[in-house]
Amino acid sequence: MSKTAGYLKEAWTRQQFELAYPLLPAGTAAAVWFGGKPLAAVGEGGAELSAGAPAVLSFDLRLEGEVLGTVLLRPPPGAAAAAAAWGDLLVHGLQGVIEAQYARHSVAQETLESYREMALLQRAVSELNHSLKPVTVAASLLKEFQGHKGATDFGAVFLRNADDGSYSALGAFGAAAEAACAALVQSRLFAAMDGQPQGDIVNDLAQSPLWAGEVAEFQSLLWLPLSVPGESLGLLVLAARRPEGFAAADLKRAQTLVSVASSALRNAQLYAAEQAMFQSFVRVIATAIDAKSPYTAGHCRRVPEIALMLAEKAHQAEHGPFAGFTLDDDERNALEIAAMLHDCGKVVTPEWVVDKSTKLESINNRLGLVALRFELLRRDALIGYYRAKAEGRPDAGQDYQNRLRQLDEDFALLETCNTGGEFVSPEHVERIRRIAATRWRTAGGEEFPLLDENEVYNLSVQRGTLNPEERKIIEDHVVHTIKMLSQIPFPRSLRNVTEYAGGHHERIDGRGYPRGLKREQLSIPARIMAIADIFEALTAPDRPYRKAGTLSWAIGVMHRMKQEGHIDGDLFDLFLSEGVYLAYAREHLADSQVDPVDVTPYLDSRESSSNLA
Amino acid sequence: MTQNTKIAIVDDEVHIRALLEQTLEDLEGEPEILMAANGAEGLALIEREHPQLVFLDVMMPLMNGYDVCAAVRRNPDLADTTIVMLTAKGQESDRLHGLDIGAHHFATKPFDPDEILELARRILRTS
Ligand SMILES: [Fe+2]
Ligand SMILES: [Fe+2]
Repeated sequence: MSKTAGYLKEAWTRQQFELAYPLLPAGTAAAVWFGGKPLAAVGEGGAELSAGAPAVLSFDLRLEGEVLGTVLLRPPPGAAAAAAAWGDLLVHGLQGVIEAQYARHSVAQETLESYREMALLQRAVSELNHSLKPVTVAASLLKEFQGHKGATDFGAVFLRNADDGSYSALGAFGAAAEAACAALVQSRLFAAMDGQPQGDIVNDLAQSPLWAGEVAEFQSLLWLPLSVPGESLGLLVLAARRPEGFAAADLKRAQTLVSVASSALRNAQLYAAEQAMFQSFVRVIATAIDAKSPYTAGHCRRVPEIALMLAEKAHQAEHGPFAGFTLDDDERNALEIAAMLHDCGKVVTPEWVVDKSTKLESINNRLGLVALRFELLRRDALIGYYRAKAEGRPDAGQDYQNRLRQLDEDFALLETCNTGGEFVSPEHVERIRRIAATRWRTAGGEEFPLLDENEVYNLSVQRGTLNPEERKIIEDHVVHTIKMLSQIPFPRSLRNVTEYAGGHHERIDGRGYPRGLKREQLSIPARIMAIADIFEALTAPDRPYRKAGTLSWAIGVMHRMKQEGHIDGDLFDLFLSEGVYLAYAREHLADSQVDPVDVTPYLDSRESSSNLA
Repeated sequence: MTQNTKIAIVDDEVHIRALLEQTLEDLEGEPEILMAANGAEGLALIEREHPQLVFLDVMMPLMNGYDVCAAVRRNPDLADTTIVMLTAKGQESDRLHGLDIGAHHFATKPFDPDEILELARRILRTS
């Protein structure tokens, strides 16, 4: 009733009363009470007037049937009729003011409610719509009820699985919230909420036939469906430890918030689905690259593991060169995608180059053809022997033996050179040229060199199996990776993917490819990529050019690479000192590869001392 | 909050006065709510009644809110008066100017009733 007291203002009423008083028969006492308080009193004894006393006229002040106040008059004898007319007139006036004030208050109240809702929406919209993850939306929504003056003891957002209609908690607050969620989902009351278009308040749970006390502490409950047109997304459930824990205003407020939360949740779910689809696309591409060559199988799957492990250690480092390096969720995601896609350019690299295990291999290994030509020469030698024998030459047998030995030696040399395992010296090249000059003849008498130009060129490759052009084709895979990734309109959070992926063959001394970038021009994640790529390649099960390497051998090779300015020394030290190599090896390498490694001699003493500074 | 707590509302728009008045009626202790419909009247009211708290509209005829605010701040007798400027949406850029001349707080119209109540409680508790 305290609000209605304001409908008649004391000062105004007193003024009104005093203005009207002279119109009363002389000697009349008058008073007005409103909302249990005296507002004005005039005439002798006016303040002491009370209804029901002898000769006192009383006029009610009403609002919608309810008596809110009284005007009291005690006229002198014989003036009752005139006083009553005065009373009627005054009450009529006051009544009009009360009703106008009441109307004003109602309109104002309505407007203030809209203001409240609008303010709530403004705040909730900006908070909820900034959530890109369903779980954050749930948390933001629940935060609006946690510790709110309604004293809600428990709150939970349940997500509806569109496939089987089951519910699972996406977020909750309150004592033993997890157990409460589990018990709630099992209740018949919860089953009854499923699919309802509107929420409700259950103010006395003990009286509900659908409630069997699944959560003993709950006495009252408020629930609302989270939905978007045509789709039910989940439920919001609030509970209190006392009956009558919720009022209609709480439901209205919750409805406002839930309407915003529902669309935010839907958006977050769509975003998550897009993310998942993008992630699986990336994985499909990585798998395709890995599957393209049996020799690099698993590379694109394992490099991300190494890269993320090392990046995590750099992120955690509180001292030393990486004290200032941090990796947030977006950057972690970017690095993982970059690591999965770093070799995506290999889809345009011809397989025969990637897999080229011998120098004469193109689509197939041409050494077979060369062997066949040697076979022809052996046949020619045999014919020569018979011919010489028929002519009665005494050294025919010896010549034949020498010739065969010569051919065997020559072929053995070509065979060795062809594998790419050994360094080909200028003397070797000289011999290859001499062998190539040997001629073989067709039955028709046409003559050909034993090795053509291309064969000589390939066999003369000094190191490995690839000739310079083929090496270029291989190296070009990074160029293609960069070109391909540049085509993708990555969102801001992934804008560094191309830089990370495109830098994996760069060297910190600037002698890498394709851009020849130096240490300062490469981001830390790009430098991490290079280390992960090399370490995976060195420890991979089998490669065309060698057998699976041991851990100690790989670390030794990489230490040399650090000294030569190939890989980042600080990162390599971290890789060793934080045991990244070992953690990875234990999980991914064959037991036969994981031999003991003493990393102490590899760790740079100068740098470890500077770390302490 | 003492019984003779006074709050002044100075705004030329009658509906804002009505809404603010009604909002402030929810305050504990029934503070006295005084109202003025323009800047000059508002300044006179403030100088006469010494309210602890003033809600002061910026755009008003006769004397704008900033001038009223500046005049209040020049008066040492009114050192304990806290001023909350009411700005319309879009006038927020004027806030710096308001702070410059000694306004303590700002509320944007249409205001959030709960925020106004919270602000009033906080101010009156410390004054
Ligand atoms: Fe690569
Ligand atoms: Fe690679």
